[in-house]
Amino acid sequence: MIDSIKDKVKELLDTGEIKGFLGLVRKNGHIGPHLFQKGDELVDLSLGDNKIAGDSRYPLNKYLMNIAKAYPEETFGVLIRGCDDRGLQALYTWNQLNPKKVVAVGITCPQELADACECLKPFPEDITAGECAKAGEQKSVAAVDALVLSERFSYWMDEFVKCIKCYGCSNVCPMCFCNECSLKCDDLVKSGELPPEIPVFHHTRAMHMVGRCVDCGLCEEACPSGIPLRTLYKKVGSIMEDKFDFKTGMIRGQRSPLNKIDSAEGKK
Amino acid sequence: MDYRTVLTTCTYCGCGCNFFLEVLDGKAIGTIPCKTSPVNEGKLCIKGWNVHEFIHNEKRLKRPLLRKNGRLEEVSWDEALDYTAARLKEIKEKSGPDSIGFLTSAKVTNEENYILQKFARAGVNTNNVDHCARL
Amino acid sequence: MTNSIEEFEQADCIFIIGSNTSVAHPLIATRIYRAKKNGAKIIVADPRKVHISEIADIYVRQNMGTDVALLNGIMNVILSNGWHDQAFIDERTEEFEQFKKVVEAYPPEKAAEVCGVSAEDIRLIAECYGKAEKASIVYCMGITQHTTGVDNVKSLANLAMLTGSLGKESSGVNPLRGQNNVQGACDMGGLPNVLTAYQPVTSPAASEKFAKAWGVEKLSQKVGLTIPGMLEGLENDTVKALFVLGENPVVSDPDVHHVKKALEKAELLVVQDIFFTATAELADVVLPGVSFAEKDGTFSNTERRVSRVRRAVEPIGESRQDWQIIQDISNRFGYPMNYASPEDIFNEMTLLTPSYAGINYPRLEGDGIQWPCPTAEHPGTRFLHKDKIARGKGLFHAVGFLPPAEIIDQQYPFWLSTGRVFAHYHTGTMTRNSPTLDAEIAEGFLELNVDDAEKINVSNGEWVTISSRRGSIDVKAMLTKRIAQGSVFMPFHFIESCANILTNPAHDPICKIPELKVCAVNVVKRPLPA
Ligand code: SF4
Ligand code: SF4
Ligand code: SF4
Repeated sequence: MIDSIKDKVKELLDTGEIKGFLGLVRKNGHIGPHLFQKGDELVDLSLGDNKIAGDSRYPLNKYLMNIAKAYPEETFGVLIRGCDDRGLQALYTWNQLNPKKVVAVGITCPQELADACECLKPFPEDITAGECAKAGEQKSVAAVDALVLSERFSYWMDEFVKCIKCYGCSNVCPMCFCNECSLKCDDLVKSGELPPEIPVFHHTRAMHMVGRCVDCGLCEEACPSGIPLRTLYKKVGSIMEDKFDFKTGMIRGQRSPLNKIDSAEGKK
Repeated sequence: MDYRTVLTTCTYCGCGCNFFLEVLDGKAIGTIPCKTSPVNEGKLCIKGWNVHEFIHNEKRLKRPLLRKNGRLEEVSWDEALDYTAARLKEIKEKSGPDSIGFLTSAKVTNEENYILQKFARAGVNTNNVDHCARL
Repeated sequence: MTNSIEEFEQADCIFIIGSNTSVAHPLIATRIYRAKKNGAKIIVADPRKVHISEIADIYVRQNMGTDVALLNGIMNVILSNGWHDQAFIDERTEEFEQFKKVVEAYPPEKAAEVCGVSAEDIRLIAECYGKAEKASIVYCMGITQHTTGVDNVKSLANLAMLTGSLGKESSGVNPLRGQNNVQGACDMGGLPNVLTAYQPVTSPAASEKFAKAWGVEKLSQKVGLTIPGMLEGLENDTVKALFVLGENPVVSDPDVHHVKKALEKAELLVVQDIFFTATAELADVVLPGVSFAEKDGTFSNTERRVSRVRRAVEPIGESRQDWQIIQDISNRFGYPMNYASPEDIFNEMTLLTPSYAGINYPRLEGDGIQWPCPTAEHPGTRFLHKDKIARGKGLFHAVGFLPPAEIIDQQYPFWLSTGRVFAHYHTGTMTRNSPTLDAEIAEGFLELNVDDAEKINVSNGEWVTISSRRGSIDVKAMLTKRIAQGSVFMPFHFIESCANILTNPAHDPICKIPELKVCAVNVVKRPLPA
């Protein structure tokens, strides 16, 4: 798979179609994000699999937004998986990235990763390399839903109380892009307290991910307190699916019901 | 354009987390926790996540200062270094090597700690070397 | 630390004492959280109900400065129930009998009277820790920053040896280092009594080896001054000059008024730093060095892991590499140095430093290396004291309880303790200049128990005046139940409400750590300005 990606990116760079390719690289004995600007750097390209598949994924779309903001006229390539593709689609509808200036190079995820992520669509719409795996079975939300209310409540409270307020969940999130973050609004969550007021802090974030979360799981991987954040946001996502028949980024061009407020469609 | 990610180690607590500094055109604009680090496995605390914020703070010291007539004034490096070395020498000659003390630091690198204690011990000839380990 | 950070996850019992782990060492708290998920029992003993106590199976609040009494009580219970590891004691330790005699004098009821933890809780802790297969101790400044700091540490070592919880995976005694490179600064000989890797300055062999390598006839074999010693020297005119690299004693050291006075007396005060600190304000020369983001080098973390620091941006303004500044001064001073890079310095250092001898920059790519790493083939060391205690046999120390240097009285009826908050670091030079962190916590405060607040008629956010024998400051009160009645807590990061104006410079007689964790103060509502 990696060789066809390298070939594709090399072609994009050589033809000048893209100014740079935001992908992953092996350097200093680690895997990290990297902007490839020359074809010969591609020998060290990585797809983010270190010990197990997909264990070294990074929110590349997020860094792409940083770069695109500084260089709006340039076109950049970016490495995407299924979740990143959903993210890109949603970011286009939120006007955070210009689809004309992004060339996505898509890879599929292996079944083992799809299962671990319980991913609904473990491949992007346009695939540059790889075979499609089946959607992962949905288990984690069901497991928590199976608890009686009081147990479910203490399950979450016991998790939330560990929070060290690093904001990693929002810092890493490719779908967190607000200039003013409500987690930092003193009236909602008082600053300076540890743990941040529970469950308000976590509910505030969950509410704000409605219609945005693309279930990449990076927040949970970044949480130093081991809080099952992905399960929380999956739950939120499943409510959106039930009530609004909306799955973030799944259908090209479809806007979140919460992104329509000022549009004609929203006013209907 | 110049966009790069540079792997390094946190300057704050003793956990020693590893992260990439995200650098765009010479400015550190973000911190990216390293997923493959054995220490922090892609996580950071609030201090680490924001460590890029102080780097370009306008209050950073930019030029050497020397006290003249009771006031600290900007001077050239040559002047500051000449003055420091000359005064240290003078004090050593007048009051002996043990009249000079050195505070090394838990915030600077091993190399910098090594070279400062070497200067104290081999250059000045004193073991008056300590740092904030106890604080 | 004798263990590695990751080993915490496999422990059966983790005893956290005097460490606000999730605030001061958050990524270690991560491992403790995981250990808890894996079924470990978590014990937290701290005068303040610190955040990590939220996940504790047993939390106890000992009176400030009474750790030895608590620990002796715990060991008394372990001994009388036979939960100790006699085989380990016989094979690998010495002086057990003397220690035993002292501990026998601390039945839980008696210990309880001193430390304020119920005899029942003492028994619970003893059982939990004493019966665990893999038991780990985590401690920090709450243990060391006392006049009895060394006694406290020895007591913890006693506890680990008593149950054979040493030298095994996930078992050991783990002091958490406060600042990122305390470990490295110590390893590199940033101490008055040792050269690199703890080679004593008094050892003729070490001294000769270094003198030869450094091209000088002879090094001083006289143990140098500690920080308190240097300050004292400045005051009595025996020390004339002080060179300060990246430290800010005017905020970080106890009894700030006294520190300032001493520094003002210096004939020459040189400060090399990245911000204009309170200490730099007093300097004769201020030399702008660079931050970690602008330099190459290495740090050694609390698990002895050496890892690379890499230059990401150019030095700000005319600031210069710290090693170059020192090299330039040395050359002008008349002691020639000619390093080309930090790597060059590192390579010289490893030749003189047995525990780093096998390390070089190329080997540090990837995961870094945990010392000791004596040879180029050696993989580094995950846990110390394996099979044999480093100094040969482990020595039990008979340690009795001694009260803190300063005791509360009518005039100063509150115990004051100082520490950190989650968004700031040390003297705040870096964190307070980071907008996100500053927005999180912008100013200092005093944690005051709600009932005490009622007694002195103070409401939340109101200004109080807090005074000790050394000085007084005004600060806003934060009412809480986190702290016991009769005790107050203040973070030390904030210069406008500098906690160290109040603290007691009385220090441990052996290791000179000041008693920052306990002193006597008075708290009153701030009188209205006249
Ligand atoms: S899974 Fe987490 S990081 Fe990913 S989009 Fe959802 S909230 Fe953001
Ligand atoms: S990543 Fe985890 S610990 Fe950090 S703020 Fe989010 S929930 Fe809290
Ligand atoms: S990121 Fe936080 S936990 Fe990690 S080393 Fe820095 S200060 Fe310590």
